[in-house]
Amino acid sequence: MGKVPPSLRSAIATTLMKKQSSSLIPKESTTTTPPHNPQHFPRKPTTRKTKSHDSPQTQTQIQTLFKSPNLSDAKKLFNSIISTNPKFPLDLRFHNSLLQSYSSISTVQDSISLLNHMIKSHPSFSPDRSTFHILLSQSCKAPDPSLSSVHQTLNLMLNHGFAPDKVTADIAIRSLCSAGRVDQAVELVKEFSSKHSVPDTYTYNFIIKHLCKARSLSLIDDFIEEMRDNFDLKPDLVTYTILIDNVCNMKNLREATRLVKVLKKEGFKPDCFVYNTIMKGYCMLSNGSEAIGVYNEMKEEGVEPDLVTYNTLIFGLSKSGRVKEAKKILRVMTEKGHFPDTVTYTSLMNGLCREGDALGALALLEEMEVRGCSPNSCTYSTLLHGLCKARLLEKAKELYGVMKAGDMKLETAAYATFVRALCREGRIAEAYEVFDYAVESKSLTDVAAYSTLESTLKWVKKAKEQGNII
Amino acid sequence: MLPQHMKKAITDNPKKLANLIDLINLPSTLREFVGQSQISRLGCFMRVWSYIKTNNLQDPKNKNLVNCDEKLRSILLGKHQVELAELPSLIKLHFPKEPK
Repeated sequence: MGKVPPSLRSAIATTLMKKQSSSLIPKESTTTTPPHNPQHFPRKPTTRKTKSHDSPQTQTQIQTLFKSPNLSDAKKLFNSIISTNPKFPLDLRFHNSLLQSYSSISTVQDSISLLNHMIKSHPSFSPDRSTFHILLSQSCKAPDPSLSSVHQTLNLMLNHGFAPDKVTADIAIRSLCSAGRVDQAVELVKEFSSKHSVPDTYTYNFIIKHLCKARSLSLIDDFIEEMRDNFDLKPDLVTYTILIDNVCNMKNLREATRLVKVLKKEGFKPDCFVYNTIMKGYCMLSNGSEAIGVYNEMKEEGVEPDLVTYNTLIFGLSKSGRVKEAKKILRVMTEKGHFPDTVTYTSLMNGLCREGDALGALALLEEMEVRGCSPNSCTYSTLLHGLCKARLLEKAKELYGVMKAGDMKLETAAYATFVRALCREGRIAEAYEVFDYAVESKSLTDVAAYSTLESTLKWVKKAKEQGNII
Repeated sequence: MLPQHMKKAITDNPKKLANLIDLINLPSTLREFVGQSQISRLGCFMRVWSYIKTNNLQDPKNKNLVNCDEKLRSILLGKHQVELAELPSLIKLHFPKEPK
């Protein structure tokens, strides 16, 4: 199996995200997490200071208060709330919650109108930066071919005395990107940079990450150059890691190596994340030797390998048929105090299966459980695939039973191999049952599951006709 | 890894995919069984297979065989017994061929 096991994939993604502080979404106020990084710009200082005296119940009541996007209905509802006996304290958070609730189901225009209505009818309410951020987020998320409603919200904010700051920029950019409006996000970044202030590194890296997913390398390079030349905003180590990960995923290791040279020239020293990313790139190309090369370089440079390094290396070596060396790394890993996890074991199993030692891989399953690692659907699928390839169909069937009992999903390759193994042995009814499970568990789409079944049956028929059931 | 013939996923080939999931105006033979005027080849297969299971039509001695009741016979060439392995191709007969 040539894929990166899902748990390894997420390990690399989360290590990148850990470097950037948690994202800011203007949800119900008090749940903002405190920043870890001392340089991090403080967010929503006012709302964090207000203690939560609302029970969570009232919060959810407010959230679903507005049922209809109709503006006049909303106004009436608002009027009735503040005039009847208020069980809610009529503070900023309350108004924000109302606005949040309404804006999630209405248009930007109507939300702005409701806000104005709130201000007029309840003069003690004074909208805060956070109030406008709610509107801003809505205008960014709604599909719109232009930035006009975003500009409208920003102007409204300005008129009330709040100039857009880095937090504003962050909210706007993240919302635009998550709505797929990446080009507009780029436009807005440039606007903010020239009119107000440059976005902070977290926003910058976020948009670069989204550009990597959605646009060409040359466009990204142009953006970076423009931000550097016009606004003195330069890529930092995290940016380089994102770029390196992007080119590695495109299997362009030469470009990755070049980027490392660039970052060194800019005065950065590659850290564990950078090395891990490059190593992963080589592993995806089944280049075990280069992966080991990265590992050695890390050690020479005094960068201590972490769990992800070891897992990546073990995955890569196993994939390249170098299981003995992978096992050596496993020993080193435990000596250094890192505990092998599900990914480690699944990678080793993959390697053993590729060598034809499916029973050895199966034995690791027991060892896993003894060590307290829970096998996941990738583990089971790897084993199932390996057992089928090794013609150990009865064991495969047994394992499949365990998978079903544990509600484990079947991965595509394992499903196909298992169905083929069953059909080859004339166990058609059982193959249909596996098909049923694959569909019911949503392991595959109906189309994929059925197509595999159909083509396998055709293949078996043909083989029989030609007199060769292998 | 998957062998070559399986690597080309059906989803990559739009014509093949369409052949599987497009709705077809049904010939009268199928219309009665399915109870609808339109169905896709995939949908038809799912229906027939589900019918077989619900009505316990698999042979108890050999589950690879299906003993057709009258309704099934009407759409499976009048056969009293069919092999599960043949089911996809039997159903395919009711549907227009892939344009070459």
